[in-house]
Amino acid sequence: MGFAYDFDWGVLWRQPYGIWLLQGLWLTIKIGFVAWIVAFFLGVLVGTLRVTPWRWLRFISTAYTEIFRNIPFLVQLFFWYYAGPMIFGESLGRQINQIVGLNFYVAILALGLYTASRVAEHMRAGFASISRDQYQAVLSTGMTQYQMYRYVIIPYALRIIIPPLTTEFLTIFKNSSVAMTIGVAELTFMSYRIDAETFHGLEATTGAMVIYLILGLTVVRAMGIIEARFKIPGMIGRE
Amino acid sequence: MIEIKNVNKWFGEFQVLTDINETIERGQTVVICGPSGSGKSTLLRCINGLEPYQKGQILVDGVSLSDPKTNLYKLRENIGMVFQRFELYPHMTALQNITLAPMKVRKLSKDKARKKAMELLQRVGIPDKADSYPANLSGGQQQRVAIARSLAMEPKYMMFDEPTSALDPEMIKEVLDVMIDLAKEGMTMLCVTHEMGFAREVADEIIFMDFGKIVERGTYEGFFKNPKSERAKEFLKQIL
Ligand SMILES: Nc1ncnc2c1ncn2[C@@H]1O[C@H](COP(=O)(O)OP(=O)(O)OP(=O)(O)O)[C@@H](O)[C@H]1O
Ligand SMILES: [Mg+2]
Repeated sequence: MGFAYDFDWGVLWRQPYGIWLLQGLWLTIKIGFVAWIVAFFLGVLVGTLRVTPWRWLRFISTAYTEIFRNIPFLVQLFFWYYAGPMIFGESLGRQINQIVGLNFYVAILALGLYTASRVAEHMRAGFASISRDQYQAVLSTGMTQYQMYRYVIIPYALRIIIPPLTTEFLTIFKNSSVAMTIGVAELTFMSYRIDAETFHGLEATTGAMVIYLILGLTVVRAMGIIEARFKIPGMIGRE
Repeated sequence: MIEIKNVNKWFGEFQVLTDINETIERGQTVVICGPSGSGKSTLLRCINGLEPYQKGQILVDGVSLSDPKTNLYKLRENIGMVFQRFELYPHMTALQNITLAPMKVRKLSKDKARKKAMELLQRVGIPDKADSYPANLSGGQQQRVAIARSLAMEPKYMMFDEPTSALDPEMIKEVLDVMIDLAKEGMTMLCVTHEMGFAREVADEIIFMDFGKIVERGTYEGFFKNPKSERAKEFLKQIL
């Protein structure tokens, strides 16, 4: 059985194509990491505000979570890229539009804001899984609400939700491929570009797939180490 | 002194506490008993402001809990509480569980807090468990760490909510011994428990609650040996 298609796996390391893939990978890693930092801290904050005693903060953080997790990421990305600068008014918006590499920053911001809403939801689940008596035990020692969350409840909840957070961290790298739609030259974009130049899209896409897989497995491994380091004795990650 | 005056509390339509009156003098040990759902835990939670009440007054050293000007956090520093299921922080060692509040609330230095925590662990009989996580301790040991965690704030009052009812029989004694010592050293204690031995040894007064009301009160002899109300007789028959 033969193929009419003429395989040429050489495109994966022949220059400049091999370099393109590596450049794409580097951009994917940068977007994913920075967006994750945004998503993690913002998500923990928003998720915590949802359970505070102050109604207004609860309302705002709940609205945030529901808006960002219910609109498709692609739509959010387009919104921030095309309409985002105009939020700042016409003249400032025009200046923002001239920023070099704007699409890269927009991709990070959009991905960070979107994933933060998902992290916030996981936080809420983490808080809910801690018993009412546990909260009361903290308060009974004289700690304030702030101290209770800061020193006991948030560290405890974070440890509980490490597994779903690993999934979010993985998803952020995968979702970063959507950034190609606003012209960010990340890994997926580069595999398309190789196809456009060489008509060897099959090899280029396969190459990208393998790279994503290796990246994902590396993240899983790294998170596994973090989980082992922070696991609650007797709870998750039993040997 | 803790003064509870005509306290009433509702959860929505449901009245959990009805006309509760009680005074606990410094140095006294009061035991609360009664069937499940009679409002014992709720009463304790009202006393340290974890639950609000709708009518009446609770005064701790003359300070009213329902006064909006009262700083409940400050007040709770003086009232330790021990729970049925220990409620230790599972991601922290025994020592860290004990030192947290003194360091964050009382702003004690780490060294001072540790020194004091070690003394307390010594006192509850498990100095060798300082670096163990709660999951690696037996129930009795966990409860003793929980007592040490409360004592670390040097409270004037200690409340216990069925501290031994989640424990195996052989561990009950080690926890009760710690509590008896505390009572004998003069701690003011409010204990929800059905342990008659404990009541006999240290209780100055026993309160029997049913359906949110104090149905009967008396000394050990008076209550456990000669209960007056039918409800109390029936209840005692079940727990004996
Ligand atoms: N947060 C709450 N909301 C509504 N009802 C509640 C709440 N907490 C307790 N109750 C109800 O109030 C009643 C008294 O509860 P409480 O926990 O004080 O009883 P208890 O005497 O401590 O019982 P147990 O021996 O089972 O611990 C129960 O009927 C319970 O269902
Ligand atoms: Mg109870």
